[in-house]
Amino acid sequence: MSQLYEGMFLLDNDVVRAGWNAAKHHVTDLVTKHGGKVVSARRWSERKLAYPVRGRRRGTFLLMYYELPRTGIPPFVRDLDLSESLLRYLLLRCEALPEGEAALAAQESAADYSAPVPPSDEAGIYAVVQNGIVEAPSDRAIEPEIIPELEGAGVHSSPAGRD
Amino acid sequence: MTEQPVTAEVAAAESSAAPKLEKYPDHLDYKDLETLARFMNSQGNIQGRKRTNFNTQRQKALKLAIKRARHMALLPFVG
Repeated sequence: MSQLYEGMFLLDNDVVRAGWNAAKHHVTDLVTKHGGKVVSARRWSERKLAYPVRGRRRGTFLLMYYELPRTGIPPFVRDLDLSESLLRYLLLRCEALPEGEAALAAQESAADYSAPVPPSDEAGIYAVVQNGIVEAPSDRAIEPEIIPELEGAGVHSSPAGRD
Repeated sequence: MTEQPVTAEVAAAESSAAPKLEKYPDHLDYKDLETLARFMNSQGNIQGRKRTNFNTQRQKALKLAIKRARHMALLPFVG
């Protein structure tokens, strides 16, 4: 008897840079290897992590819904533990596939889909504020401000709040 | 046995708690980071029931969701 599960997998960006489809299939193949069936799998997000995991400051999240028999769970978890391209994973039992999930996964499986290349580990700023998460865009470059009166002396000051 | 009269303090507490409970969905998802971050202070601690005005079940669901998000490095443990 198969049960529907939700899995969130944090993938190493070095593996994702080599090819998103290969990184995704690395996880989905483990499900099929243990007698399961992938219902939907998609790139959930690429973001700055709240704390470094195995020295990585950014990571790509794969959200997958899959069916797996109960006997397939322990070997599946063992394979996940042994996988070096996975930084973290979270497996939850799920009653039904959430609305809109199938459509989002179908967008990714389209022939013309290409996943964006993850930025370097230093890009972006992680900050939790009172009313939500604020993450600076990855292309935001912080230029040093030049004080006019000191310009001749070549003195630069860091932008406000970035000391 | 006669019913206890509702005091002004109890009535005020109930009226202030009711809209906050209705504002958020029953199932708090660990992926809904904007909602979860509202219930954490600037140091990353989970706010208590006095501040969230949640009942026992909702507070437990909040704790579970935040701990799942922390495990996945979506929310910080501290700071």
